[in-house]
Amino acid sequence: MDKEFQFSVVDPKDSAQEMDAVRALLAANQLELDLHNQVWVVCHVRGRLVACAGLDHNVIKCVAVSKEFRGESLSLRLGSEVIALAAQRGYFHLFLYSPPHNRELFQGWGFYPLVEVSELVVLMENSPIAIKRYYESLQIQKRPGDRIGCMVLNANPFTLGHRFLVETAASECDWLHVFVVKEDASAFSYADRFSLVADGVKDISRLALHEGSDYIISRATFPGYFLKEKETIDRSWAAIDLLLFREYIAPALGITHRYVGTEPLDPVTNNYNADMKYWLEKASSPANSICVVEVPRVSIKGMPISASRVRGFLAQGDLEAIRHLVPKTTLEFLERHYSGVGVAQA
Amino acid sequence: MKTRRSMLFVPGDNPAMLSTAFVYKPDSVMFDLEDAVSPREKDSARLLVFHALGLPAYKDIERVVRINRLDSEYGLKDLEAAIRGRADVVRLPKTDSADDIHELESHVARLEKECSRPVGETKLIAAIESASGVVNALAIATSSQRMAAIALAGFDYLVDMQTSRSGGSEPELFYARAAIVHAARVAHIDAFDVVYGNVDDEEGFLREVQIAKQLGFNGKSLIHPRQVDLLHRAYAPTQKELDHAQRVIAAADAAHRNGQGVVALDGKMIDPPVVKEAELILSRVYAS
Amino acid sequence: MKIIKQAVAGTLESSDLLVKVEPNDSGLDIVIQSEVVKQFGKQIRAAVAETLAKLDVDRGTVVIEDKGALDYAIRARVQAAVLRGAGSVDVNWGQLS
Repeated sequence: MDKEFQFSVVDPKDSAQEMDAVRALLAANQLELDLHNQVWVVCHVRGRLVACAGLDHNVIKCVAVSKEFRGESLSLRLGSEVIALAAQRGYFHLFLYSPPHNRELFQGWGFYPLVEVSELVVLMENSPIAIKRYYESLQIQKRPGDRIGCMVLNANPFTLGHRFLVETAASECDWLHVFVVKEDASAFSYADRFSLVADGVKDISRLALHEGSDYIISRATFPGYFLKEKETIDRSWAAIDLLLFREYIAPALGITHRYVGTEPLDPVTNNYNADMKYWLEKASSPANSICVVEVPRVSIKGMPISASRVRGFLAQGDLEAIRHLVPKTTLEFLERHYSGVGVAQA
Repeated sequence: MKTRRSMLFVPGDNPAMLSTAFVYKPDSVMFDLEDAVSPREKDSARLLVFHALGLPAYKDIERVVRINRLDSEYGLKDLEAAIRGRADVVRLPKTDSADDIHELESHVARLEKECSRPVGETKLIAAIESASGVVNALAIATSSQRMAAIALAGFDYLVDMQTSRSGGSEPELFYARAAIVHAARVAHIDAFDVVYGNVDDEEGFLREVQIAKQLGFNGKSLIHPRQVDLLHRAYAPTQKELDHAQRVIAAADAAHRNGQGVVALDGKMIDPPVVKEAELILSRVYAS
Repeated sequence: MKIIKQAVAGTLESSDLLVKVEPNDSGLDIVIQSEVVKQFGKQIRAAVAETLAKLDVDRGTVVIEDKGALDYAIRARVQAAVLRGAGSVDVNWGQLS
């Protein structure tokens, strides 16, 4: 009977003292405390913190077990508690970030490695087959051709800038695969963004539109993309997303070229594009390299068309200013849903 | 007569313990769906217990299921699992009155019929955890033919009494213990003493066992396997007691065979209570 | 019984198993991970398949992370996960024995 292990769930906002103890335990394990974890599972023995694990939506991070309890079932109990907590919060497909040397520990938790940024971090998921099933579901959508392009859009909302990007890419490729980022973390819901993209590209031939997933610019693969404070982005996270793309998604669809728009206004996307060139083209990997093609943003009156500008005008209720920035399909949608009503800036 | 010294509590949500508790040879094993299981896990533990009841390892051990209170969202479902899983006994927590047993009994009878078990086969244990329960102990103990035992649950009872355990002779438990044992004797059922929570304190445990045994408790609710053997040793008769008991039984058997109404040993008449006492002693022989 | 949502039951502790279920329209997909998969893989799969069959589950993805569980625990945890994944359904005890 191990009544000595007391597990509890902690909200970091309410427990400064607890978080201090967590920070110390993590530091002793060469880990930093990730402030984005919404909730933590902690374990105490006679009032002393001996283990912790953080949960950020469907991603487990910052797992540490005090040295004196390593190798015992404490780690498995911790894993069970985190998994049950995630389930209570509605998350069943879980991801986990770990230093590579802890891979085996988490394999005991039922997590399987997806991609590793050598010696830095490994991304794992709680299924031995999920990525394989995803790969197979993409594979059956492979299209013929030598130059197969791919682009990933958030499209928040779909603008003429996006349209130009898609048209350009499609014209240069035998087929173009377009993915829409699936997370509901933007001003416009995924459902709306997807349908705006679908309407906005439906006349373009040799284009295959795909739903986003946990495996492509998601909270699991690229948490930095969804942060409000755009300045403090850990660059190594982009590597995870890009390596997943290069090692699983691209081979499934036979993708040879990745298209991105240049982004002078958004530092996150700018850095991401730079990382893209490194991880898709240069970094060593068992998978083929992918060519990155940067397409300059289209401008109107010297200013690049960007979704953030559109949202800015929308917040002011200025639909007239948006007229020249978005295709008819997007404008009609905005008029139906937002006329006279401001929308929050994402 | 079923020997009931040790009732080992086993958390219903722990497959490792559910499948190995028999190893410690308790007289009864209690699969717990109540306090040992978090609300989140009640449904899953119920299924574990349902299946564990069928394990061949428990063939010769009395299987008890502690269900949740019937007025909770879990109680009736737990009862279904227990009866359909063919548990020997159902232990009802927080029994405050005879009505609680009557209510339980009607559900048990209905379920026995539904799953084709002989009606009346499942026995009941009432756990007394409040002042009301103690005061109604006699009514509870005599409320049904199915009653096998009455147990005192110390922690909740003391909270209800607005006090706590003091260690030592513990006057705060005296009345409750006395009431439970009296009720058990009148009803001709077994009485179980409280759980001893400090599993590392062997001496304290044994001291408490002596008190309970001296008061007439048949046995004790146990929360750790190592308490089983300690309890069995503590209840074991001395060689002298055993020898005497065996002679009494032999004399009673002889009298019965010869059709004699009176039992005699060493020139003295042996009353029925003495024979009963001898049977009790024999039932407590320690076997490792 | 129909699995209409994702669900999980069990733990990672010794003698237990973690069972995850999710809807799958194309059929039944059972995946078993176990340290003793070589010795007991077949038995584990048989216990899982039989339990699902008794519940009339013919569609769904079931992923098992086994930690040396006995048959009875496999049945119990698979049933728990399926019942959780089926939403609020009444238990038909005849399907659980």
